[in-house]
Amino acid sequence: MMLARVADSLYWVGRYVERAEHLSRLSAVMLNATLDRTEAGAQAAQLARASIGDPESASLADPFDAARALVLDRERGGSVVLSLSGARENARQVRDQITTESWERLNLLYLRATGGRAERDFDADAPDFLQGIIADLHLFKGAADATMSHGEGWRFMLIGVHLERAQLIARLMRVCFSGAQGRVIDDHLALVSILRMACALEPYLRVYTADLHPRYILEFLLFDEEFPRSIRYSTARIEEHLTQLSKGREIGRGDPLRLAGRLNARLTYTDVEDVEATGASAILNSVEAECSAIHQAMYETFVAYPLETRLPA
Amino acid sequence: MQRPDDYPLGPAYDEMFAASGDTRAHYQLLHTRIQTLGALELADRQQTLERSFLLQGITFTVYGGGEAAAERIIPTDLFPRILPATEWAKIEKGLTQRLKALNLFLADIYGEQKIIADHIVPRDLILGAPSYRRQMQHLYVPHNAYVNVCGSDLIRGEDGEFFVLEDNLRVPSGVSYMLANREAARRTFPGTFRQAGVKPVERYPDLLLATLKSMAGDWRPNPQVVVLTPGVYNSAYYEHAYLARLMGVPLVEGRDLAVHDDLVYMRTTSGLRRVDVIYRRVDDDFIDPLSFRRDSSLGVAGVFNAYRSGNVVICNAPGTGVADDKAVYAFVPSIIKYYLDEDAILPNVKTFLCRDPVELSHVLANLDTLVVKAVGASGGYGMLVGPHASRAERADFAEALKADPENYIAQPTIQLSTAPCLVDGRIEPRHVDLRPFILSGEKVVVTPGALTRVALKRGSLVVNSSQGGGSKDTWVLSDDGRAPPDLPDADGVDAESAL
Repeated sequence: MMLARVADSLYWVGRYVERAEHLSRLSAVMLNATLDRTEAGAQAAQLARASIGDPESASLADPFDAARALVLDRERGGSVVLSLSGARENARQVRDQITTESWERLNLLYLRATGGRAERDFDADAPDFLQGIIADLHLFKGAADATMSHGEGWRFMLIGVHLERAQLIARLMRVCFSGAQGRVIDDHLALVSILRMACALEPYLRVYTADLHPRYILEFLLFDEEFPRSIRYSTARIEEHLTQLSKGREIGRGDPLRLAGRLNARLTYTDVEDVEATGASAILNSVEAECSAIHQAMYETFVAYPLETRLPA
Repeated sequence: MQRPDDYPLGPAYDEMFAASGDTRAHYQLLHTRIQTLGALELADRQQTLERSFLLQGITFTVYGGGEAAAERIIPTDLFPRILPATEWAKIEKGLTQRLKALNLFLADIYGEQKIIADHIVPRDLILGAPSYRRQMQHLYVPHNAYVNVCGSDLIRGEDGEFFVLEDNLRVPSGVSYMLANREAARRTFPGTFRQAGVKPVERYPDLLLATLKSMAGDWRPNPQVVVLTPGVYNSAYYEHAYLARLMGVPLVEGRDLAVHDDLVYMRTTSGLRRVDVIYRRVDDDFIDPLSFRRDSSLGVAGVFNAYRSGNVVICNAPGTGVADDKAVYAFVPSIIKYYLDEDAILPNVKTFLCRDPVELSHVLANLDTLVVKAVGASGGYGMLVGPHASRAERADFAEALKADPENYIAQPTIQLSTAPCLVDGRIEPRHVDLRPFILSGEKVVVTPGALTRVALKRGSLVVNSSQGGGSKDTWVLSDDGRAPPDLPDADGVDAESAL
């Protein structure tokens, strides 16, 4: 039993935390790639920005300025700082539901990223700053995993994490591999950067060795069963948690569990050959759309249901 | 041990040093410890303390002002305030007596009104008060416990006696600071804490839960308790979340609750679920837009009717404010006498009611020595501290007094007792008050501890946090204090080994 509003807030904690981590990683990779002044580096930075809908504007042509804005700009929706504030504000509203250990990790991170010294720290050593944020977010997730009961609230938070993650990875893949950018990416360094943006370089190498190829990368990030940032891994977790949350409930048409089951089945039984035949954009687009549908269905089922239908017997 | 030269004693009673300059017995251990620590170590511990409050999110938020919302901690002082067992025993007895009488008074006011018929308190003072809720008339309240949580403000006068300054019977706050300060003090002075024999306050949350459950005890076997908060923007939000977490009950907002057929439900992920007891941290006015203020969006439409029907309990009961009104305060000793036939154990501060023409003229003639307070205001607002006010301020207040005398009371300016505080690295006396917390349901329980509020500005007598006050931990000892056991006596010979 859990308050509907609380479940909703925990879900958003998960989404915002995941978004902050992904954006921090994109910024770090972007800064690192452009150090080389190569064509591939510029291309990687461009892909990173395109994947979060940040077209290269004239005012922020310099990758450092672009990364800085992506991290620190409070005015713009979807910066790291705003995502952290969103996570922390939602956590504060359900402070009684989160263990002290996890709350303190998140609160400390928020205080550091929004404090008076944040800009100075970023300018002094941006990679270090971003590394710190990512490491702290891992600490938060670890503390939540190790101290929170793995019950309803925790599941709502993880569904938030995995929905956000699946959508972010799908968008990154779509920008890189659907031909939307007008050219095929085959440069080794650019491909390394793409894997880094998904935090996938080392796990990929262990499966495919240093043979980098867009087809393998697509296969890995879409279908790998074990890598925690592949889309299939996320859809499997979403289905798993929704199954637990739906015990004793009648599962009708449009139920989030049905939507999640369908999406997961599709990723389970599709091969990379099918994707190549039809083009990557079809499956990536439908992953994004179906994640949005699950999000909406969850809200209608668990949070904003009409009162008269749910009175106790 | 003796008072250091740079610690000035004023006319006020000092908690640590007797007028002779000797350290009081129950402060011996702490004083010794402070002296061995030294200024640097103390400053260091103060910093650790503040950081831990910030980290835990024990903050209140200041919104507005262009910049993003700023979060501040309520200043917390390093040194505990210490009370010996005998003094506490009297406070405990006095508070229990007082709350029993006030609950009987409320039951009478919202019942037969005998005390009015017997001319002990004036009719218009009660029935004309904005805090009087006629909706509560003839409504059954279990155990006659109208006030389930009370936070009285006590002060110690120049002669060392405790007075009750104010009864907070509506939605008193501050108990989370009592608990957080204690947790901090245990870390700051672990050795001293252990040796001193301090009574525990940690049971407050489970005693609160038992009190709340006892309010529904006779008709629902395992009542669902919730804490109702105005939301995250309320300055006491931290406390609401803290208590809900430690009691293990849901923290709800008005929008989480719904009333259907005079039953109260909360919206959960698996449908609606019945609620039996609401510990509300929302003011009377905002509980129910159908019964009280129509423009309230913090409460729950229909909850008061559910309460009237006996399907839910609201704690504290609405309408308790009529008994902590600053003018009714003056009658509390007579109220105690009337219902319990006892004299008040804890005295009131002498109070002049400006509604009485004779007392009004006395007040007007002595504005420079009195504290004048608006009856309806709280939090240190609408108040004139005569000796500290300018001539112009006093003249302005005199006009307000003459225009609306019913709205004011006056009291002599009392030098609140002082306690040692760490201010800018130096140990200095600051004025303090004492807010203990009393629970009442099936029975009355006084938690052996309190929130000690501190006026951080030198010489200031206003301790409210909205006016720059801070707080410190309060140690209630299980005895009257003793010298440090391992301290050699004056001759340098250990007293025990000499035997």
